[in-house]
Amino acid sequence: MDKKIVLLKDTSIGAADKTKEYYSLILNLLRDHNLQDSVQVVRVADIGFYDQGLVLKILPEQVIYGRVQESDLLPVITETIQGNKILDRLALKPNEKQLRIVLRNCGQIDPENFDDYIAADGYAALKKVITGYKQEQVIEELKASGLRGRGGAGYPTWMKWNFARQVKAEQKYIVCNGDEGDPGAYMDRSVLEGDPHSVIEGMMIGAYAIGASQGYFYIRAEYPLAVERIQKAIAQAYEYGLLGKNILGTEFSFDVEIRLGAGAFVCGEETALLASIEGKRGTPQPRPPYPSIKGLWGMPTVINNVETLANIPVILLKGGAWFGKTGTEKSKGTKVFALTGKIKNSGLIEVPMGTSIRDIVYNIGGGMLSAKGIKAVQTGGPSGGVIPKEFLDEPVDYENLQKLGSIMGSGGMIVMDEDDCLVDIAKFYLKFCVEESCGKCAPCRIGGYQMLGLLENITNGKGTNSDVAKMKRIAQAMQKASLCGLGQTAANPVLSTIKYFAAEYKEHIEDKKCIAGKCRYLLNYKIISDKCKKCGLCLTNCVFGAITGNREQGYVLDSAKCTKCGRCYEVCKFKAISKG
Amino acid sequence: MTKLTKASFDQHKAEIQATSKNWIKVGMSTCGIAAGAEEVYKILLEEAKKKNLSIEIKKCGCLGMCYAEPLVEVHVEGVPQVIYGKVNKDIAIKILEKHVGTKMLVNDYIFDLALTMKEVRK
Repeated sequence: MDKKIVLLKDTSIGAADKTKEYYSLILNLLRDHNLQDSVQVVRVADIGFYDQGLVLKILPEQVIYGRVQESDLLPVITETIQGNKILDRLALKPNEKQLRIVLRNCGQIDPENFDDYIAADGYAALKKVITGYKQEQVIEELKASGLRGRGGAGYPTWMKWNFARQVKAEQKYIVCNGDEGDPGAYMDRSVLEGDPHSVIEGMMIGAYAIGASQGYFYIRAEYPLAVERIQKAIAQAYEYGLLGKNILGTEFSFDVEIRLGAGAFVCGEETALLASIEGKRGTPQPRPPYPSIKGLWGMPTVINNVETLANIPVILLKGGAWFGKTGTEKSKGTKVFALTGKIKNSGLIEVPMGTSIRDIVYNIGGGMLSAKGIKAVQTGGPSGGVIPKEFLDEPVDYENLQKLGSIMGSGGMIVMDEDDCLVDIAKFYLKFCVEESCGKCAPCRIGGYQMLGLLENITNGKGTNSDVAKMKRIAQAMQKASLCGLGQTAANPVLSTIKYFAAEYKEHIEDKKCIAGKCRYLLNYKIISDKCKKCGLCLTNCVFGAITGNREQGYVLDSAKCTKCGRCYEVCKFKAISKG
Repeated sequence: MTKLTKASFDQHKAEIQATSKNWIKVGMSTCGIAAGAEEVYKILLEEAKKKNLSIEIKKCGCLGMCYAEPLVEVHVEGVPQVIYGKVNKDIAIKILEKHVGTKMLVNDYIFDLALTMKEVRK
């Protein structure tokens, strides 16, 4: 018999992890059958399944069993390990929820090694395109793929390219937008750091299709490693003759430079980004004219997001039709999400468009971090909205998220549980947009500020019932009249929380209560005398003199003096202080 | 390096694809480095040299499993290719001794997610 390996992990949720016990049981059984030398049993930290009881994976056959009971262990050994027979009642299908197109090389190749990228089919698409494709053919291929911009708005990439291609101009430009600024999103950084050559290759194919000879990477200066790796990759490409004059001996010539963004969120907006590259102050311009017609220094310019460009080589190599097979009717391909918040497996995931939020949270994310239930999922960062738990089974694509009052955005996905206050979340995102507003247009500059004031009143217990209606009016004005996407979408988190969590707003306004316990000024701290062990820890930690008493008589909290800092609540080891 | 042309591109690719050997990859993007991947990488290099193991130790980007950083992926002929997560100095040494040395997998640190991620490859 060949050497076998059994991987095991107890994936039960809400019960003690019994992996070690099963491990010894299996070891004993193997010894009984004299198999201890030909089978290795390995405890693993994560087996790719969640809430499936004890999961076993038998290698090299890749047989997976779920919900394995103690009594099943013997048949698994005698029938599957010794007899090569699969037990259908236990067998699980592989949990293949992720599909890696953009992240195909991330973590697989050395990003600083040019040959690693070549060995992984790197620059093969570029070679195919510049040695055998006409410009129109490249655009046709993209049209067939249905690829849409991954920066947030979801504009079809082929249309952008086609506009720029059709304009006659002495000089055209292509720009990679690496000014990722949404709180909680970092997929662009990861692609730039993990697979810089694929972004360069995607950019070169775009340049060939529109007839550009100069490209710019606009990357935020807060990503030093990404900048360093892109710099190295560009130098290598020049060295091997894949950048510069007459690439691979063809007529095609292309140069790339890097421009660093100084960290202004608004510079992710395309007209502000172009102004910043030109060395001007980064503020948006009214559109039209769109950059594809009149962009950098008045010349046609295509601006694509990092993730969009990383998709391009695969599309050209495998064909637009192949790419178009994945995804939903109007949203093709995959999307990378930065899955964060109250979730076990936080990190970057890539799923086909149309995957349900439930699959993402429970089958990839591994479920919630605590026993507290899921409350909502926030997508799209400060331009997006929240999706309450009732809509967990909705598929994720551009149209559907918009229908639910959120957006795809650049791909942040923050999972929230019962401990999160949605009014507070809305305030956090709005505050971010108010701070990042460039101030050029009044609806965004004044509207955002006023709306934030109203939200602060509500979370401070000074809100009135008319505030919600006022916020809705301001939001409408901002959506209609702001110059750029920042102002037009800044109110989305507020609007979507009002839509789905009106009761929570009402509690804050009428009952002056925050159930989640996040809004500090709505909290009331009290000492529960039954639980108090009179240790005095709260007294020594209260710097405002709000707690008085002694070890004999116990302690009392004077709410008039209490500043609601929460220190006593944190230090009490007996949970004798209540808040709420 | 001389500049590649249409013809020499394929030749170059064939040459580098032919070399395949045992390797260890350490995830060294911002997330990995923040979790201590530099230290793991250094100890792997030092120990492999000390133990005289013939294995290539490479840096690579982020696999996306940020919750389990630092990540170390190991490919040794005759052992299934696996990803170890939450690797520290001690585990790194154990991986070299057990996985590379005696071709046995190390307990408790494998994040077996290969099946949850379909790769786009030929």
